[in-house]
Amino acid sequence: MFLFLIAAGLSLIFGVLRVLNFAHGTFYMLGAYATYQLVQWMGVSGGRFWLTALGGALVVAALGGLIERFLFRRLYGKDELYQLLFTYALALILSDAAKMLWGTQQKSVSRPPELTGALHVFGAIIPHYNLFIILLGPAIALAFWVVLQRTRVGRYIRAAALDRETLGALGVNVDALYTWVFVLASFLGGLGGALISPMRATTPGMDTEVIVEAFVVVVIGGLGSFWGTFLGALIYGQVLSFGILFFPRFSIFAVFALMAAVLIVRPWGLLGRPLR
Amino acid sequence: MHRRTLLVVLLAAALLVPPAADAQKPIRVGMPMPLSGPPALFGEPATKGAMMFVEEINARGGVLGRKLELITRDSKADANEAVRQARELILKDNVDFLVGTLTSAEGPAVSVVAKENKIVFIAPIPKTDQLTAPDKLHPYVFRVASTTTIEGRSAAEIVAKWPVKRVATMSFDYAYGQDVTKAFVEHLKKIKPSVEIVDQQWPKLGEQDYNPFINAQMAKKPEAVFSSIWGGFFVTYSKQARAVGMFDALKYHFIGVGEAATPETAKSMGADYPVGIWGNSYDAFYWGETQAHRSYVARLSRYLKDEYPSSWAIQGYIGMQFLAEAIKKAESTDSDKVAKALLGLTVETPVGPLTIREKDHQANRGQLYGKTVMDPKYPFAIMKPVTYVDPTKFMD
Repeated sequence: MFLFLIAAGLSLIFGVLRVLNFAHGTFYMLGAYATYQLVQWMGVSGGRFWLTALGGALVVAALGGLIERFLFRRLYGKDELYQLLFTYALALILSDAAKMLWGTQQKSVSRPPELTGALHVFGAIIPHYNLFIILLGPAIALAFWVVLQRTRVGRYIRAAALDRETLGALGVNVDALYTWVFVLASFLGGLGGALISPMRATTPGMDTEVIVEAFVVVVIGGLGSFWGTFLGALIYGQVLSFGILFFPRFSIFAVFALMAAVLIVRPWGLLGRPLR
Repeated sequence: MHRRTLLVVLLAAALLVPPAADAQKPIRVGMPMPLSGPPALFGEPATKGAMMFVEEINARGGVLGRKLELITRDSKADANEAVRQARELILKDNVDFLVGTLTSAEGPAVSVVAKENKIVFIAPIPKTDQLTAPDKLHPYVFRVASTTTIEGRSAAEIVAKWPVKRVATMSFDYAYGQDVTKAFVEHLKKIKPSVEIVDQQWPKLGEQDYNPFINAQMAKKPEAVFSSIWGGFFVTYSKQARAVGMFDALKYHFIGVGEAATPETAKSMGADYPVGIWGNSYDAFYWGETQAHRSYVARLSRYLKDEYPSSWAIQGYIGMQFLAEAIKKAESTDSDKVAKALLGLTVETPVGPLTIREKDHQANRGQLYGKTVMDPKYPFAIMKPVTYVDPTKFMD
């Protein structure tokens, strides 16, 4: 489910800004590192984990805003190759910066004490924390859907995805809108990293691992499609788990085979729209 | 303009000065080692260990009256890059010897370069058996690291003593994971035939979500699990395994090779470490078995400015130590002579005497094993009692 958080940000940036953000995985990593740092200062007990996770995501969101305002803005409408090269360079620079700040040694964040327990269902054990993530995913998806469909800002964002010039001509500050979309997407990426930190090690290199998975999810679901991303994340998880259960050595293959099949039948993804 | 002219003149003058006598020239050692990306976690401290050795021996006057000079290069944990760096070190930097590489892909690749250039190459970390396999062995390659055979068999010796019959394995699906697991399974079946391997999981190298693997494995009801998930990946794996109660279900009959019990890993996990499992490590600052080891740890702690110094530094240190001793024995820096001197050479290392066998150029490097416990002296788990498993009796 957390993969949905990251993929949603990636999909949002592509849907509205038409930029494939390779640095998105790095935002995820920075979210995890920022949370680790805040946890070092504040601890995880007494509900403080939630503050640190939110803080970590906000730090990343702010960084995302700065990057959009001063760097990304120059890329819109440019050749895709430039965009890809730029975001890739950004990913390298940010991950090296993270290494200088936190070193190469892996870091670890404890689970919040409120959620260290586990639920026993039919002989299987589901940790409370995993359950929380499973519930959080649809909640965030729903919140996003409401914002996109029912609010003025949501209408603007959808309009910007369709026709940027007309929206500008109608008196909407598209530049500011783009910045906020990027901030939001960075926030989602950072939140993904922050929330996953209690379940994984925070290490250099976690960014490139996740970006591949996020791309697979987004491609299966459809680039720029919100529910498509949600569906893609669900399918990815299911195919992987059942693959491991029945064909342990081919589970990864199964996921990529699925992606290839989707690309052949519907190159724009399950719920995406064909590019004009 | 004036300044540039001056520079050129100075440079020319420097070039014109006759080279110092050969005895004064430092002995150059090239070290290709991953210094970026996740493997830098081990490459960096190993390089520091080598640097500390060089500093210490130079302070005592060097080897054969000449100083040692270490030239490090980032191999990026990539076999092609390691080969490129090794070639450059030999051709451009004129190094006399190579000590280095980390992954099981880099080691054998650089070994070929050493063979071509007839330069002694000592591998301090790659564990793959292939490095010194009969068809790959040549006069110039040596290893002071453990091997997958040694590691798998050491773990099997420990698991054989547990009151368990149903054993499962969890390893990455690549050379190291497969080789060490094979060595473990074969040796365990040999020394305790009643054991049954009930499940084997092979997540891809660098897997981040182990839940599906853990669930599938626990469904087979194993009584013990052998894992070779290493480094930061072990942190991820064990956190997820602990959350679903795997260690409790196994009654802590779990052994993690691939250095799962290093002080670094334990330190980064703190109270989240699955205390009670078995693990291994190349070194542990708290071991303190001998005066030599205690002194080494104190020096390293000062050198790294770390109260709990890394367990990986020892491998760089030992690699350089073997080289220096061999040069002394050969009384020459000629690679052919040094290579001969290395055969059967025994060196008093901080972890005790180690010998490079003539048969396969492999040192009898075992590792520290132990059950992890919390010790009030440290804010993290340590192995206690910690035992050095000497592999001599079960090396082929």
